[in-house]
Amino acid sequence: MNEAISLRSSSFARLPGKTLQRCPDSSCPAGGAAPAAPACAVRLVSDAPEPGRLPGAGCWLPWTRSWRWRLAIRRDQTRAEVPRAPRHEPVTERGAEREAAVAEECEEEAVCVIMCASVKYNIRGPALIPRMKTKHRIYYITLFSIVLLGLIATGMFQFWPHSIESSNEWNVEKRSVRDVPVVRLPADSPIPERGDLSCRMHTCFDVYRCGFNPKNKIKVYIYALKKYVDDFGVPVSNTISREYNELLTAISDSDYYTDDINRACLFVPSIDVLNQNTLRIKETAQALAQLSRWDRGTNHLLFNMLPGGPPDYNTALDVPRDRALLAGGGFSTWTYRQGYDVSIPVYSPLSAEVDLPEKGPGPRRYFLLSSQVGLHPEYREDVEALQVKHGESVLVLDKCTNLSEGVLSVRKRCHKHQVFDYPQVLQEATFCVVLRGARLGQAVLSDVLQAGCVPVVIADSYILPFSEVLDWKRASVVVPEEKMSDVYSILQSIPQRQIEEMQRQARWFWEAYFQSIKAIALATLQIINDRIYPYAAISYEEWNDPPAVKWGSVSNPLFLPLIPPQSQGFTAIVLTYDRVESLFRVITEVSKVPSLSKLLVVWNNQNKNPPEDSLWPKIRVPLKVVRTAENKLSNRFFPYDEIETEAVLAIDDDIIMLTSDELQFGYEVWREFPDRLVGYPGRLHLWDHEMNKWKYESEWTNEVSMVLTGAAFYHKYFNYLYTYKMPGDIKNWVDAHMNCEDIAMNFLVANVTGKAVIKVTPRKKFKCPECTAIDGLSLDQTHMVERSECINKFASVFGTMPLKVVEHRADPVLYKDDFPEKLKSFPNIGSL
Amino acid sequence: MQSWRRKSLWLALSASWLLLILLGGFSLLRLSLPPRPRPRAPQGWPRWLDADLLQSFSQPGELPEDAAQPPRAPHGGSCNWGSCFDTSKCRGDGLKVFVYPAAGPISETHRKILASIEGSRFHTFSPDGACLLLLLSLDAQIGECSSMPLQWNRGRNHLVLRLHPARCPRTFQLGQAMVAEASPTVDSFRVGFDVALPFLPEAHPLRGGAPGQLRQHSLQPGVALLALEEERGGWRTAGTNFSACPWDGRCKQDPGPGQTQRWEMLPNATFCLISGHRSQAALRFLQALQAGCIPVLLSPRWELPFSEVIDWTKAAIVADERLLLQVLAALQEMSPAQVLALRQQTQFLWDAYFSSVEKVIHTTLEVIQDRIFGTSAHPSLLWNSPPGALLALSTFSTSPQDFPFYHLHQGSRPEGRFSALIWVGASGQPPLKLIQAVAGSQHCAQILVLWSNERPLPSRWTETAVPLTVIDGRRKVSDRFFPYSTIRTDAILSLDARSSLSTSEVDFAFVVWQSFPERMVGFLTSSHFWDEAHGGWGYTAERTNEFSMVLTMAAFYHRYYHTLFTHSLPRALRTLADEAPTCVDVLMNFLVAAVTKLPPIKVPYGKQRQEAAPLVPGGPEPGPKLQAPDPNCINQIAAAFGHMPLRSSRLRLDPVLFKDPVSMQRKKYRSLEKP
Repeated sequence: MNEAISLRSSSFARLPGKTLQRCPDSSCPAGGAAPAAPACAVRLVSDAPEPGRLPGAGCWLPWTRSWRWRLAIRRDQTRAEVPRAPRHEPVTERGAEREAAVAEECEEEAVCVIMCASVKYNIRGPALIPRMKTKHRIYYITLFSIVLLGLIATGMFQFWPHSIESSNEWNVEKRSVRDVPVVRLPADSPIPERGDLSCRMHTCFDVYRCGFNPKNKIKVYIYALKKYVDDFGVPVSNTISREYNELLTAISDSDYYTDDINRACLFVPSIDVLNQNTLRIKETAQALAQLSRWDRGTNHLLFNMLPGGPPDYNTALDVPRDRALLAGGGFSTWTYRQGYDVSIPVYSPLSAEVDLPEKGPGPRRYFLLSSQVGLHPEYREDVEALQVKHGESVLVLDKCTNLSEGVLSVRKRCHKHQVFDYPQVLQEATFCVVLRGARLGQAVLSDVLQAGCVPVVIADSYILPFSEVLDWKRASVVVPEEKMSDVYSILQSIPQRQIEEMQRQARWFWEAYFQSIKAIALATLQIINDRIYPYAAISYEEWNDPPAVKWGSVSNPLFLPLIPPQSQGFTAIVLTYDRVESLFRVITEVSKVPSLSKLLVVWNNQNKNPPEDSLWPKIRVPLKVVRTAENKLSNRFFPYDEIETEAVLAIDDDIIMLTSDELQFGYEVWREFPDRLVGYPGRLHLWDHEMNKWKYESEWTNEVSMVLTGAAFYHKYFNYLYTYKMPGDIKNWVDAHMNCEDIAMNFLVANVTGKAVIKVTPRKKFKCPECTAIDGLSLDQTHMVERSECINKFASVFGTMPLKVVEHRADPVLYKDDFPEKLKSFPNIGSL
Repeated sequence: MQSWRRKSLWLALSASWLLLILLGGFSLLRLSLPPRPRPRAPQGWPRWLDADLLQSFSQPGELPEDAAQPPRAPHGGSCNWGSCFDTSKCRGDGLKVFVYPAAGPISETHRKILASIEGSRFHTFSPDGACLLLLLSLDAQIGECSSMPLQWNRGRNHLVLRLHPARCPRTFQLGQAMVAEASPTVDSFRVGFDVALPFLPEAHPLRGGAPGQLRQHSLQPGVALLALEEERGGWRTAGTNFSACPWDGRCKQDPGPGQTQRWEMLPNATFCLISGHRSQAALRFLQALQAGCIPVLLSPRWELPFSEVIDWTKAAIVADERLLLQVLAALQEMSPAQVLALRQQTQFLWDAYFSSVEKVIHTTLEVIQDRIFGTSAHPSLLWNSPPGALLALSTFSTSPQDFPFYHLHQGSRPEGRFSALIWVGASGQPPLKLIQAVAGSQHCAQILVLWSNERPLPSRWTETAVPLTVIDGRRKVSDRFFPYSTIRTDAILSLDARSSLSTSEVDFAFVVWQSFPERMVGFLTSSHFWDEAHGGWGYTAERTNEFSMVLTMAAFYHRYYHTLFTHSLPRALRTLADEAPTCVDVLMNFLVAAVTKLPPIKVPYGKQRQEAAPLVPGGPEPGPKLQAPDPNCINQIAAAFGHMPLRSSRLRLDPVLFKDPVSMQRKKYRSLEKP
């Protein structure tokens, strides 16, 4: 080991491709006081041969003999590390970036190295290197001290302000909300205009602030907290509420946050307007207007959950806010600016206090429950009428009047003299009424969802929370106010299965978007983010499908029912190593198939050149040879640019037993099932009850779950999936074991499409295409064991067994029918 | 000498280092020293010391109780669904539509549209029983503008349907009427109340319509990435080099000869950039959709068609025109998987909702019906995945698992049992042998006998292991496809009393059906062909190398097709089937093929019976032989569908070891091979 390293380290200077790079920080004595400084470790990085590297960008330090010598004597402590070169690293536009990074790293190293050197010179130098003239020594020492001074100066400049800041911040973090800077608002300071109802993203939102963002994430800035007082020193509003503090903390902790006001796309004022009742409207507006980037409210986001005030209770925040976006908790269709504002829930503080475990869907004790207190008498009459009409199955609760002292009245509800725990009682009901109060948005909605009770929303023109992305039809029933008396019959017409679905969905909505202030804040930002970067937006399914559905659901990438035209033909890909004779036979056979449009030979042998052009069989379609860089099985499934057809026939270089009719028929079958693997030899996976694991089966069975890709048609897209989207380390595993690439492909296709393979044509005597050795039962058995291992390995990587078992295979319509052979389209099928 | 060299070397090196450090080193150093312990979120929102003491934003009890008056929404100039539509009229059987007869002469298109609505299940002749009153204002040419109709009632429950932008001034106030018009502006559109229609070209086909242009799933290599609209109305493809394109999306680069396509041509590119004037852009949008070119809309000021139900994010990209360069970069970076999905979705949407005038009108009515239905409306999945909401009726079920189309998406499987529905027609003989054979199947859940015969019901039936129900049907052939509530399983085995099947044939066919629940799986087949001599379609039951229909006298299919047959087919077609009983097979196959766009599946059928089999499910009288079917039938049906939905298949699904040279003992479906 040591010898090898010494060899490398002593010869690295001569290797043109290797560059000396790293001398870890720890090994560099900072002040030069340590006499026995450990030697610099050396890492040899073999990335120099890349054509993308400019020689000037690397660090070519002109080391001299003394350096090597020093390293050589300290080789016992020298650590050499030779990382493996990346295989096919393409030269990309990112090359320049990388170079910059390398250069930068090198600089650092070099500085280190110089310092190491200086130490050496000073302390051990006399013993190890030829003595120099004192003049020179002084000169060098001066030089290096200048360098050192420069460095220190740099460090001071760079880090001094930061350290001040961070210590400052430390103080800030220890601060109380009560001692924040006070801002006095003169009575005549400007007031923003009222909100503009015609605002849309393309008119009122300055999207340029959000441009050029590689991650497709908006940047959100939060203004620092201040205390606003009017001319008389009276505060404009209460201190920040607990929820708003949580909300800003959540934003601050998220990926959206930026502390750089110049890079921000969205601004969130720290002025708490969650509840309009706590605000002085005019002064709050003035406070907003004097924010440093207010600019008529462009790109400002306000969060408000309780809008309006007596007597008329507007459905949107009354504070004049000009163009600012409003995330509001009680919008009606009249105030909601579609595609601009965001409708958010009214947070229920009970969510945090009470832990309601999820209750499975199914019938519950009460069919319909009204739990709201403070209902308008007219509505209360209506719901009580329902109770009278439908008896036990309807429960109408009100606040308790006769509670003893010390009992939290918020957590109790009463029906006559019966006391119920709230919100636990919600879990006893299938449907829960969410009636409008003075405001449209009601916090009870959140409680109801948490209990898995299906909300019956009776609030005309109410914009439900996050209605831009959430499909409320799946989780709630919306009933017009005038239909309130029919509620019961409307609900009864919903089938039980749909009710259970809704219960599940309601709970999921609560868990994902209502549960905490953080969830509400992040969903709001995500909605705005999706508007700005629509091509990276979250899909309907991601917003709405509960995790269980997402997990079980398969979305076939080729979902459009299409039968590709026959004229397109297919591309045959022959993977070969060196069996030229057999390869030529395969080429000749395959070229007889009418629908073949191109033949691609993947030459997987790096040690041998493919035969000369003149030696190849002359065929009617283009033949192309692709040489690979490495002998890997995955090469067979690479999406070569040369493949111009959708259909690909993968065929081994020894499959000569398939007739032209059989191949043509296979292609016809693929056209009818373009999203499946269509192959000839079929295989099966079985559950081995004794061993408790999967087993590979190649016997003559009545079922099929895989086809071998030694001869199979499939869609080119699966090549792309195999090469770039194969889960886990399967691809490397296959290449390392040189086996099971076909099983991997079967897993991949079945997993992504959810469909079974199609085996075509009767069983043939294949020359055991998947066997590496022909003879020997034991070899055969090890082969089976290996294949079984593959299945178990892949099943564990996929987390499930995607393969589907079927009992059918595809034959021509008239196969083995009593019909004149010459009239059959594919007569030559099934011959042995 | 050497020392000098060394010295100068060191000097140069140190000097350069100094320079580097002074000039660029600062920033580089900062980048290269991340391990410096930094606060987690620099200058983030502070963690207040007294955060726990903060008060909640809403104090319990603070909420106003007993507000003085239940606040009502102001009835301003704007309408919404709750305030301006009276659903109480629609209680009974959903949406019933009355169409105002046109005053004066009407165009051919108008007449056809009227006929199409009248043929649909929504139509009613009485304005009083109607829940929606439809005012067609279609004729852009004639110039005659409709006047205020009689039952106007301030426009309540009215829908004014404008396929083409109005050219005549409004003669009356719209009041509370809903408006369905092509590409309305975002500002005038009342979300949830109005309906946005596509902007149809004048020559849009009435029914059927051209299929999407996409012939293959994936991209052909070498297809241009982007197509841009041209001023003259054509499309121009642009390469991947966007640098030549300034902000407004017009590329200065000379397109060169051959790259500019004519007006009729559809764009041949992956993405189509659409901006500009409303009507122009809307028309382009539809063109791109048909061509399978993913529309990239830059801040459209108009509402996308049927945006209430169609999730356009799955088929188009709506981006801000101000971020054009970023959008273009994002398009280039888009993963093949995403492009593949978007393109397929354009084709599905085009085919499901836009390819003909009839589809557009039916979609409009379906949208309004969904609003009326509330909770029993189509789930979003039904609107946005094949075969689309027009073919997946929400009256059948609102759970996607009940349909044959969504099992993959739902992660569900069709039920493992089937119901046999045996139609006893003319012969009048109880099919005892058949019942025994079917009841022998392990998958059989129940047997229904549809007695459609003049003779009295036999009192005695054979003892079977499964429940047997006898339905005394009417005498119509179309009754065979009535959605009987007694059928509870997903799969139906439709049989004629004269069919003969063995238990293992039934078993195998059912196992195959479970893999293809949306298709018909049958034993006997026939195929259609274009008859040059007669200039029409013909069909034959002769054995050929391919087939496109399976006979319903012995076939498995999903019970949903009964609902679809009875409720979605125009009345005229069902009457046709009743009058010419041979047609019923053709009609059912048309229907299923129109839904699936795929051929049916054939499974093996016992040999000796195949010769005796070609009997037709006859009407009351013994039907004619299948060899002489009525060619009129298929042509009439094809005309009513507007296109030929049938697809041909060249394969048969056999058991895996079918007729293989292996021991019979190994085979599961042995009796299938017995001579």
